[in-house]
Amino acid sequence: MKLLPMLLLLLPTAASAVDFCPNSMPTQNWGIQYQLSGAHQGTLLLLRQQAQTAFYNPQNQVAEWWRFDNPQHPQFSRVFGEAKRRIDYYMGDLRTLGVQVSQAEIESFAANHLRQALTKVPQSDCAEAEAYEGDYHQVHYRMLWSTALQLPLTLETTVQGKVSRWQAQQFVNSADVTGHFQQWQAYKRTDFADVGDNEQDPFLAKMINQGFVEHSEHAAYDSRGNPLGNHSH
Amino acid sequence: MKTLPQVLAVLTTAVATALVSTAANAAVLPAAQTQSNWFTAGAEAVAAKVAEARKTGTAKNIIFFVGDGMGVSTLTAARIYQGQAAGNSGEENRLSFETFPYSALSKTYSVNQQTPDSAPTMTAMITGVKTEDGMLSVSSESIRGNCLSSKGNELKTALELAEDLGKSTGIISTARITHATPAATYAHTPERDWEADSNLTAEAVANGCHDIAYQLVMDAPGDGLEVALGGGRSYFLPNTVTDGEGAKGRRADGNDLTAAWGEKFPHAAYVWNKEAFDAVDVSTTDHLLGLFEASHMQYEADRADDTAGEPSLAEMTSKAIDILKKNDKGYFLMVEGGRIDHAHHAGNAACALADTVALSDAVQAAMDKVDLQDTLIIVSADHSHTFTIAGYPARGNPILGLVHEPNDETISTSPSLASDGLPYTTLGYTNGPGAKTGAREDLTAMDTTDVDFLQQAQVPLSSETHAAEDVAIYAAGPGAWLFQGSVEQNVIFHVMNQAGALGGSKY
Repeated sequence: MKLLPMLLLLLPTAASAVDFCPNSMPTQNWGIQYQLSGAHQGTLLLLRQQAQTAFYNPQNQVAEWWRFDNPQHPQFSRVFGEAKRRIDYYMGDLRTLGVQVSQAEIESFAANHLRQALTKVPQSDCAEAEAYEGDYHQVHYRMLWSTALQLPLTLETTVQGKVSRWQAQQFVNSADVTGHFQQWQAYKRTDFADVGDNEQDPFLAKMINQGFVEHSEHAAYDSRGNPLGNHSH
Repeated sequence: MKTLPQVLAVLTTAVATALVSTAANAAVLPAAQTQSNWFTAGAEAVAAKVAEARKTGTAKNIIFFVGDGMGVSTLTAARIYQGQAAGNSGEENRLSFETFPYSALSKTYSVNQQTPDSAPTMTAMITGVKTEDGMLSVSSESIRGNCLSSKGNELKTALELAEDLGKSTGIISTARITHATPAATYAHTPERDWEADSNLTAEAVANGCHDIAYQLVMDAPGDGLEVALGGGRSYFLPNTVTDGEGAKGRRADGNDLTAAWGEKFPHAAYVWNKEAFDAVDVSTTDHLLGLFEASHMQYEADRADDTAGEPSLAEMTSKAIDILKKNDKGYFLMVEGGRIDHAHHAGNAACALADTVALSDAVQAAMDKVDLQDTLIIVSADHSHTFTIAGYPARGNPILGLVHEPNDETISTSPSLASDGLPYTTLGYTNGPGAKTGAREDLTAMDTTDVDFLQQAQVPLSSETHAAEDVAIYAAGPGAWLFQGSVEQNVIFHVMNQAGALGGSKY
């Protein structure tokens, strides 16, 4: 369609503006800093250490931490840095909450499925990347996918005219990644199954009454673990 | 004591009386009434009740089943769920313990809360004294979370009284065996969360309070519990140890309480998976510790998927009885279906009902093993949940499904619609994670019977809450007849004490 290139030029930050274009995956623990701009704004760190993946919001110190050491029985924690607490979810907890866990989606910033759903388009901004575009579940996507990292370098969504854009900016260094995981490991932990029986714990009472931070700020997947825009059950 | 012929005579008279009564009714009631299956079944139920002879002897053995969070609506839904799984309409089904001859309603409030948690409720049931929320088998003179205040306020439990009499004792739970319900049987603490030493406060350590796992093994009453089966492995292992399923221990004191179990008790065994559990020789094992998960055991719906394999609640109950019954003086066994509560908290009815049926199966396993002439079986719950069975579904409508009303002899093919134009499920919650702010979700295309489905709720809370209405008590065996009417929850202890002659006091 001829109109498309023109529309792309009108977007506030074009997908072609890529300063961060890694050609290989780090060998040690690593992470990516994403910047969200447009209709929503914020910063998010995606942290990786072997079978662990976490999404960490440094503004509110909330993290969503997945462990896939046993892929059939993944473990998930919501980490609350300010309170130095974490809530652990076992597989049974996730199932009772209707969460469908996909390791591939978690590790790919919930973007792996988009590669099948969207159309591959030409790009020349990053040698180790592929560009995709299209509509999926009433959301228009534009994505620059790093073949080296198996992660999006940019992920842009348009919903009812509102554009949000995730932009990978830089690596998080290995020591910082290790530090986060070590810190969270030491936090006081509560099983999700026990939250309901601990209404007198001020922290947990707040969780019960106000709800957990369900969508987090990366909004890569919803409260049931489904990738953004996919509301099937 | 009545001899058998005398009992038969009483029985014959009673049945005859009932039949006469039916015959007398026939004179004034139309045939459509007296010949109805409902009528004859009702008459037979009364005849059986008239013929029921009270078992007034002493209960040598006591088995106490607790369905955590198993309110009356849970029982109703579970019986339908089980009945429908067997291919029937479901409503006419009975859970195993619903056939017991005696029942009562139990008032569950605690000393300080209208709606309680599991700690004061189990304390009431196992010590005869109500206490405040969060406390296990210490009186309400204690302050929650304050060790010093609990000193001297410990309450003796039915399990400890049984140990004093030389009986064998056991606890089983699908939750952690350090969780509130099982812990109240053997531990005394002003804080239910003190499950491992790493949870203790500085004040607790300074004033000599021990964590719950430690109390189970190192401070055990009598000659120690003969059986302890359930979850909670990480609370027994040092934090330097990774267990067989890849989870780290939680103990900071370096104690490996699973090893201590073997050192402290003779003919002891520790198992952590199904294979080892199945291999336990009950004839040579006198003290069995089984910890099948780092935290709670799997939901019954997920049990088959467990990495290392877990026994069912029925299998654990059956093996426990085989070990406990070796003692000629008798035994006390507490069995908890601990995850009914957790599934409800998650707003997931399917898992709650599957775990309730698992508890029913465990009761049946016990009934298959014991003689009700010398064994008292009690089934109750600690508290209820905000779980509702609503709408006007037709009989036989899938209990986990959308409400479909009757249509003559069939079930309407179209679901009933609420005033927002959307269908709704029979089962729901007053609050919990299934609630949405804003418009209700359209369930038309959803499979609401799926085990992953979250029932809708009215008030949005991340965790569904307990509820305050009464729960049921069912009983069979010696002393069961003492359960009648509406009772305070702490009466359960007093029935066990009386029926089992546990020596706690005289009545």
